[in-house]
Amino acid sequence: MPLTLTRRGFASLVALTPFLSTAHAEESWAGIEKQAKGQTVYFNAWAGSPQVNDYIAWAAGELNARHGITLEHVKLTDTAEAVRRVRDEVKAGKDGSAGLIWINGQNFHVMKEEQLLFGPFAWDLPNFALVDTDGKPTTLVDFAEGTEGLESPWGMAQLTFFADGAKLPAPPMSMMELLDLARDEPGRIAYPAPPDFHGATFVKQALAETIADRALLPLAIDKDDFREATQPLFAFLDQLHPYLWREGKQFPLTQAQVTQMLSDGELLMGLTFNPNEAANLVSSGTLPATTIAWQNRGGTIGNTHFVAIPVNAKAKAAAQVVANFLLSPEAQARKADLKVWGDPTVLDMDRLTPGQRALFTGGDAPGAVKDPARTIPEPHGSWVPLIEAAWLERYGA
Amino acid sequence: MNRLGAAPLLLLWALPLLAPLAMLLPAALDGEAWRMALAHPQLWPALALSLGAGAVSTLGALALTLTLLAGLYRSRVWDSLQALAASGLAIPHLAFAIGFGFLVMPSGLLARLFIGGEAPPQWVSVQDPWGLTLSLALALKELPFLLTAGLALLSRGDAALQLRQACRAAASLGHAPGSAFLRVVLPPLLKDLCWPLIIVFVYGATVVDMALVLGPTQPPALAVVIWHALNDVDPAMNGMGLAMVLLLTAALALVLGVVALLLRRARDPLHRRLAAGPSPLSAPRGLAVLLGAAALLILLLAMAVLVILSFAPRWPYPALLPPVADGAAWMKMTAAPLWVSLTLSLTAAATAVALAVLWFETQAPARDSWVNGLALLALALPQLASAGGQYKLFLPLGLTGTVFGLFLAHLTPVAAYVLIVLAGPYRAFDGRYVAAARALSVSRIRALLTVKLPLLKAPLLTAAAIGFAVSIAQYVPAQLIAAGRFSTLPMEAVTLAAGGNRALTAAFALALATPPLLAFLAAAMLGRPRWR
Repeated sequence: MPLTLTRRGFASLVALTPFLSTAHAEESWAGIEKQAKGQTVYFNAWAGSPQVNDYIAWAAGELNARHGITLEHVKLTDTAEAVRRVRDEVKAGKDGSAGLIWINGQNFHVMKEEQLLFGPFAWDLPNFALVDTDGKPTTLVDFAEGTEGLESPWGMAQLTFFADGAKLPAPPMSMMELLDLARDEPGRIAYPAPPDFHGATFVKQALAETIADRALLPLAIDKDDFREATQPLFAFLDQLHPYLWREGKQFPLTQAQVTQMLSDGELLMGLTFNPNEAANLVSSGTLPATTIAWQNRGGTIGNTHFVAIPVNAKAKAAAQVVANFLLSPEAQARKADLKVWGDPTVLDMDRLTPGQRALFTGGDAPGAVKDPARTIPEPHGSWVPLIEAAWLERYGA
Repeated sequence: MNRLGAAPLLLLWALPLLAPLAMLLPAALDGEAWRMALAHPQLWPALALSLGAGAVSTLGALALTLTLLAGLYRSRVWDSLQALAASGLAIPHLAFAIGFGFLVMPSGLLARLFIGGEAPPQWVSVQDPWGLTLSLALALKELPFLLTAGLALLSRGDAALQLRQACRAAASLGHAPGSAFLRVVLPPLLKDLCWPLIIVFVYGATVVDMALVLGPTQPPALAVVIWHALNDVDPAMNGMGLAMVLLLTAALALVLGVVALLLRRARDPLHRRLAAGPSPLSAPRGLAVLLGAAALLILLLAMAVLVILSFAPRWPYPALLPPVADGAAWMKMTAAPLWVSLTLSLTAAATAVALAVLWFETQAPARDSWVNGLALLALALPQLASAGGQYKLFLPLGLTGTVFGLFLAHLTPVAAYVLIVLAGPYRAFDGRYVAAARALSVSRIRALLTVKLPLLKAPLLTAAAIGFAVSIAQYVPAQLIAAGRFSTLPMEAVTLAAGGNRALTAAFALALATPPLLAFLAAAMLGRPRWR
C-alpha cells in the first residue's frame, strides 16, 4: 500500500476519532500559533556537538523573535534518558518535563508502542508539504516502522566513510575492498563495538553487502532464519577481524573515538552517519584539508532523524510551531550549511521557490562526499537485537 | 547523648538513600532480570575485571602512600606534601584519565618522544584486555586521596603532637626512623586509612568514566556493562542492569568480608613481630623521593597534556606539538552553569559537614559502623541506579525538576564521603581537651566551638573540600532528578564529552578541576596548625 494512502487514511481518522482529535488538532494553524505564544518548549536533544548546540541556540533566538516561544535546550548524552523520564512521568500521571524530543529508531519504536507520543501532528504542519517523501521515503518510515505522523522529519543520515586522502588515495568502495585494505594494512582499521549505534550500522552495512537475498531485510525475522541469513555476514567478519585494530579482540567504544584515532594517525578510516561530518571536521580543524569522504559503491544504510512531542508535554502548541519552524526552508538551509552543522535537508528542492532554493548554498568543500551513493533503508527492527546479541556472543569476551 | 541529633542526617540523607533502594529491589530481584544477567556472555569476565582493577589499584595506591609517608615523615618536604596531595585530589578522574591516556596510548606523547616513525606503534597500552592501564591510572589518581586521608591524621592538632612525642621516645629507645614509623605511626595510620581504603577499592571496582577511557571493551568492566544496561530504553535491560548491580555489590561485600577475616587472623602474628625490640630499619627515603617524584611527574604531565589538548583541534602523530592551536573549545564556556554549580556544591558540602558533626556529637561511636556502611552503599551503587530510585521516589512527591530535589540528590554522595573521611579523625579526637575545658566550667557548645572544632580544623576542612569536589562533579542528578532544568557545569561538560571532541572535553575537564583545586588548596592552607 502506498504510504500516501496511509497518510490520508490517518488524517481522516484524526478528524473522525474524538479520542485522537485533541483540542489542538481541530484548530487551524493560526490558532495553534496564537496559542503557542508565550509558551516554553523544553527541547530534549543530544548535545554532544557544539555545532548542533549552536544551531539549536540560533533556532531558539528565531522562535523567540518570530513566535514569542521560549525554546530551552535540555542537553542529553543519550536520548533514552528522555524516553525513560517520559515513561515514568506518564506512569505517575505527571506533567511532562520534555516538550519536544530529538528522536529516531528504537527510541521512537518504544515511545510509539507504549503510546508515549502526542499526535499524529507531523503531516498537518504547513511545512510538511515541502518534505521529499517520495525521494526520501525514510521521512515516513523510521527503521522500517511507519511514523504515522507521530514524529516530524528533521534531517537525513547515511553511513559515510572518511579518511586522509594523502594516506589513502584509493578508498575501499565496498566491504570486500575493505577486507583487502585491512589485509594490506593490518591493525589500522576499526569500527566501534555494537551496540554502539555506528558499530551496529557498520555490521548492518556488512550484512546488506553479504546477504544472499536482500529482500529479507525489510521483513521481520526470527532466530532460525536469522542464523541462516547471517552466515555469510559472520563468515565475513571472522575473516576481517584478525586484520583489525588489536586483531579484532578489542574495539573502540564509539564513533567519536574512531574519529579521534584517525585524527591522531592511529587508524586509517573513520565512519559517520552525517555525510557532511568530515567536511565539518575539516572546517573546525579536527581533520586535515586532504580529507576525503565516500559511500560504498552499492549504496549505504541511511535513515532520517525526527522530532516528536511526548504525550504529556505541557506546551504542545508551541512544540508543533517549533517542529514546523525546523522544517522551514530557512532553518533547513542553515542546518545543511557545512559551516553551521552540515546536516542534509529532508526537503524536496523541486517544491521550493527559486528564492528558497537559493538559500541552500551547498557546494564542494574539502571532505564532502563526491559521488553520493543510493540509500539502503534500515533493516526491520527485529534484526537489530539479534545482530547485537549474535555479535556480543561471538566477539564480546 | 541526644538521640534527636541523628534526625537531620537520617531525614535528609539516610531516608532519600534507603527508600529508593527499597523501591528498586523488586526490579532487581525479578527472575527474568536474573536470567538475562546470568546469560550475558560478558558477565563473569567483566566481574573479574572489575574486582581485579579495584584490588590492584587499591594495593598499588596503598603501597605508594605508605612508602611516601614512611619515607618523607618529618622530612623537609613534609609540609608541602599536603598541598601537593590536595592539588592532585582536585583533578577529576575523567580529566586525569584523558591526560594519562594521551601519555601512554600508541599515538601518545611517550611514543612520539621515544618511538617516532610515520605511523604509531601497535602498543597494547590503553584498553589492554587485563585492565592494567586502568588499574595503574586509578592507583595514581587515588594516591592523593589516601595521602590526604593519612595526612589528615598526621597533621591533626592533638594526634600530631602525640605521635611526634612517641617517635621521639622510640628514637631514644634505639629505634631507627623506619622502625619507629612502623611501630608508632603505622598502626593508628592504618586504622584511619581503613575506610578510605575501602572507598578506593569500591570506587575502582565500580568506576565508569575512567573505565570508558582507559579500560578494555571486550569485555569491559562490569560497571560499564551495567551503565549501558541502565541507560537502555528497554525496561527489561534496566532490570538486568539492576540485577547486575546487586551481583556486583554482593561480590564487593564478599571480597571485603574475606579480607577483613584474613586481616583479623593476621593481626596477632603481625603484632608480635611489630612488638619486637628496636631495629636499625631506616626510613625508605630514597625510594619515597623516587616514587613521589615519578607520581608527581606523571600527574603534572597528564595535566600539561590536557592543557595542550584543550587548545588543539588536531594533533597528529608524530608531531611533538599541535600544528595549529585555537581557543575554540574555551569559547564554548559560559558563566551561568558555573554559578549554579558553585552555589549548589557549597551548600551541599556545608550541609554535609554540619550533619556529620551533629551526628558525631550526639551519637555513640558504636553507631558509626552503621552509618559508614550506609555511606559505602551510597558510594558503591552506580549512580544511575541510586539516582534512578531517587527519581522514582521524588516524582510523586513533586520534587523532580526542583532545586531542593537536586540538592537532596547531591547530598547523597557528598554526605557519604564526608562521613567516611571525617569518622576516623573525629572519633580519634583526644576527649581530654574537651574534658579540661568543661572542668573550667565552659559550656558544652562553647567547648565544641572554641576547643574541639578548631583542633579538628584540618580534617573538617579537608572533608568539606572533598564534599565540594564530589558535588561539583555530579552529573546524573542534574540530568535525572532536575530533568535538565538547571544547567550545571558537569551537565555542559558531560553532554559535550558524549560527542567525543577531545579539545572540548579537555577544556571542560580543566574547568571542572579548577573549583575543587581552589577548595583543596584553601583547605590545606587554612587547615595548618596555628603553632607552626
